[in-house]
Amino acid sequence: MHEQKTPLIRLAKRDAMPSWQVWCIRGGSFVAAILLGALIFGLMGHSPMEAYGTILSGSLGKKTAIRQTVKIAVPLLGTALAIAPCFKMRFWNIGAEGQITAGAVAASYFALFWVDQLPGWALIPVMGLAGAVAGGLWALIPAFFKAKWGTNETLFTLMMNYIIIGVVKWLQGGPWEGRPGSQIIPMFDSKAVLPKVFGVHCGWIIVLVLTVVMYIYMKYTKQGYEIAVVGESENTARYAGMNVGKIIMRTMFLSGAISGLVGFILASGANTTLNDGVAAGVGFTAITVAWLAQLNPFAMIGISGLLAVLEKGAATLQTRMAVPASISDIITGIFLFCMLGCEFFINYELIFRGKHKEVAKQ
Amino acid sequence: MKKKLLALLLAGSMVFGLAACGGGDNPSEKPSEVPSDAPTQNVEEGKNIKVGLICIGDENDQGYTYNFIRGKETATEALAAKGINVEWVTKYNILENSTCEDANLELAEEGCELIINNSFGFEEHMLKVAPDYPEIQFISCTNQASWGDELPNTHNAFANIYEGRYLAGVVAGMKMQEMIDNGDITAEEAVIGYVGAYSFAEVISGFTAYYLGAKSVCPSATMKVQFVGSWSNATEEASAAAALADMGCVIISQHSDNTTPATTAQSKGVFHTGYNNDMIGVAPEASLIGTRIDWAPYFEYVIEAVVNGEEFDQDWCHGMDQGAVVMTELNEAIAAPGTAEKLAEVEAALADGSLQVFDTKTFTIEGKELTSAFALDTDGDFTPDSEEAVFDGAFHESYFQSAPYFALQIDGIEWLNSAF
Repeated sequence: MHEQKTPLIRLAKRDAMPSWQVWCIRGGSFVAAILLGALIFGLMGHSPMEAYGTILSGSLGKKTAIRQTVKIAVPLLGTALAIAPCFKMRFWNIGAEGQITAGAVAASYFALFWVDQLPGWALIPVMGLAGAVAGGLWALIPAFFKAKWGTNETLFTLMMNYIIIGVVKWLQGGPWEGRPGSQIIPMFDSKAVLPKVFGVHCGWIIVLVLTVVMYIYMKYTKQGYEIAVVGESENTARYAGMNVGKIIMRTMFLSGAISGLVGFILASGANTTLNDGVAAGVGFTAITVAWLAQLNPFAMIGISGLLAVLEKGAATLQTRMAVPASISDIITGIFLFCMLGCEFFINYELIFRGKHKEVAKQ
Repeated sequence: MKKKLLALLLAGSMVFGLAACGGGDNPSEKPSEVPSDAPTQNVEEGKNIKVGLICIGDENDQGYTYNFIRGKETATEALAAKGINVEWVTKYNILENSTCEDANLELAEEGCELIINNSFGFEEHMLKVAPDYPEIQFISCTNQASWGDELPNTHNAFANIYEGRYLAGVVAGMKMQEMIDNGDITAEEAVIGYVGAYSFAEVISGFTAYYLGAKSVCPSATMKVQFVGSWSNATEEASAAAALADMGCVIISQHSDNTTPATTAQSKGVFHTGYNNDMIGVAPEASLIGTRIDWAPYFEYVIEAVVNGEEFDQDWCHGMDQGAVVMTELNEAIAAPGTAEKLAEVEAALADGSLQVFDTKTFTIEGKELTSAFALDTDGDFTPDSEEAVFDGAFHESYFQSAPYFALQIDGIEWLNSAF
């Protein structure tokens, strides 16, 4: 009787696995992703080898291609760094998209209206600072409500995205519009454009520095420790005498400020203007980056690089082999799915019915 | 059993992994050779060309981008007949931000000799790439920077779509006059409702031409314009059309991408004229006629010039004279009798120059005739400040630059909202 009721496969939480085994699973899932992707290419009538070759050569094959790939990776890495402390705290900030946009708006304000008032050397730092403060304040709003009244931060931060994107749409068609009716904000003056280093706007240096800072902050500072404790158990934190509300607000401000800085980098470095698509989904993709990297800042460099290679490679795929853009999205989806899915097998194991019998006999 | 399974899986994945990696290396070299090959082939045969096209949408919009794709296909056939083989590299659904810059960069790196940007908002991003590739020709359709950016390899193009709008207006006016003559409506009830995207010069120029066309055959006509704040939003366009019909408009026309104004007009029992596409199929009882830009003549002209290593117009704008503006089929079943003959007559008059669309004797602004208006903005403050557009008794649209610059509010047209 009992035997019949046992399902064929059961799930159980795994004990800690040796790290070589963990990496085997990760490697295996990567291979599985490549194979599944190859299957899709094959079904679409393209040679999988050629397709993967195009992805690689299109994203890393030339100097210009590498520059473009780096340009895609920069905001992903920056935003993943921004949301990492929130996620560590189990505060589900999915409002990075809006915090980026808020930062971009504030930076653009100075770029558009303070160009002549500020000395040349001060303009870009002021824009960066304004972006960070605006992003921080935008993130502080849901944090305040969460700390005071326990509102749901997931919905709150998500809704905040739509508000600020609406504000940009209004600015585009209203007070900041260039040519009447065009819905386009004029390009920034060259003084408000981030300088280039090795052919890519210097945002890449900013985010690399941030990576190191964030690693130290999370690992070795008191505040980083407090974030970890709140994430593990709010009650423990309270018992230890921590002011949980204050920690939540402080961390969210920090997170929003980094997102805001990314917004400044995007507006000043990549677009050199402001539009409602300034964040372009980066705020959401960065969640995947942070998760895949298991909130480790250095791992985020690799993951954001990988996603940038896939994105840039997919664009070349569309150009060279006329693969529809949607196929490229499917391939990226498969990679993310396999990589996130493998974490599941690292934490859980499958128990087959047969094994159960053995256990029962013992 | 578990171990066996795991071993099997691992072994299998390793084999495939090796195969995938091993094979991956060779092709990665191959495609990168292709672009460097293309130019040399060109020199040898002089018949092949790689052209990039960057689109804001894809052909599924059945409107703006679809119109470019149609132009592309027609031009390819025409050029093939002349022995010119065009390889198109098309990027769809590109945003008006740095992704557009990336797309231009990528097409340039892939060996395109000519890169066409199809949306107004692409130009600024295209201009970031163009200076680095002086040997590649860049075109921004519907925009206007080329005459002032001092880059010889940037170009603009547009078509005199106001001619097509004027003709569509004539069809609408004849229908309204027929309704007045039949006693279906009074002369004052001859009101046109216009669904516009934004209060943008291109849109204003278009509906003014349309109104003047209607007024030329139905003197009592007036117009109401409702802006929807989007180039393409099927729902908003439908509600604007419905609101206009409810306000008593008997004809609906549009400068927006979807067919919903046509279907709404049919459900409200009023008539309609379309843009970008033939809308008789979706609204056979309402749609009288449509007008669209045909990009094929321009594409053919520029591609041929590039292949032959010739210069081509930096700022190109033609209309019915070169077939760059075409009318879709007239819906004879519902159009007023004699419309086809009248259309042919007006078309001929436009072609030989005896008829000017913006003839200053046919409209007034605040009760006065227009005597002066500037065409170009040279100092970048977005208000026209040079080149007198009014001469020889008409406002000369698209004369000093291809992008429309008629942005005046004339009497008889009421803007219901101007927030956009």
